[in-house]
Amino acid sequence: MPTERELAISPIVQESVQHNTRVISNIRALTASLFGVASGILGLESYSGFAFYLLGTFFVSILIWALLANGKQGQYFQGPLSELWAGDVLGGSMSFVLTWTLFYGLVRA
Amino acid sequence: MPSYLSRPLTVLGLLFLSHACYSAYEHSTSIPHQPSNLASTPISSSPTSTSLPLDISLETVMSVIMICVGLVVGAEELKPITWRVWAGKVERESGGGGPFQGLEDRLGFVDIRAKRKEFADWVRDQDGENQR
Repeated sequence: MPTERELAISPIVQESVQHNTRVISNIRALTASLFGVASGILGLESYSGFAFYLLGTFFVSILIWALLANGKQGQYFQGPLSELWAGDVLGGSMSFVLTWTLFYGLVRA
Repeated sequence: MPSYLSRPLTVLGLLFLSHACYSAYEHSTSIPHQPSNLASTPISSSPTSTSLPLDISLETVMSVIMICVGLVVGAEELKPITWRVWAGKVERESGGGGPFQGLEDRLGFVDIRAKRKEFADWVRDQDGENQR
């Protein structure tokens, strides 16, 4: 976290911070339910399903880092670890479980 | 990667995913249920969890990867959060605009000779048109 002095020297644009957070959470919400669909089709159960979700979110994080942030994560996020790599992972897990169970039940009725 | 690839990639991935989903469903219905076999085997080694063919699994994973790439490529661009980087980008893109436009346009900064010359040229043009 930057100190007051650093903030005074190089101010932060709140609008951009909000915009970046919104972009990340949009992608997370869409991909989380997508991973749920995939793990339901694959028929994953218990731990392997959650492992699949974590692996998938990590893959999406890498994609965001490489394609959207161009490798310069410090330029777009105040705390890259919590905003890019771990942002909205827990919130997305709810929709993941929802679509996971739905598609597991649909495919293996 | 150019952003116009986003939509086709996502749509193609969704198509593959729905195909994989229907294939998995068909596969699960094509296997006849064997209640005696199910009762005798422990739940952990139930046949449904492992019997998905490799091509359906691969199709699922590949389509998910395609949709992920499509979504990330099609997402809005991130904006730089530090003020100087952001302001510089805005100024460059709008051609001299930017958040400090109000300061640049103060009356004391007006180049009065350039403005006069501009006005004189304009008047000359107007006269020329009137005489024609």
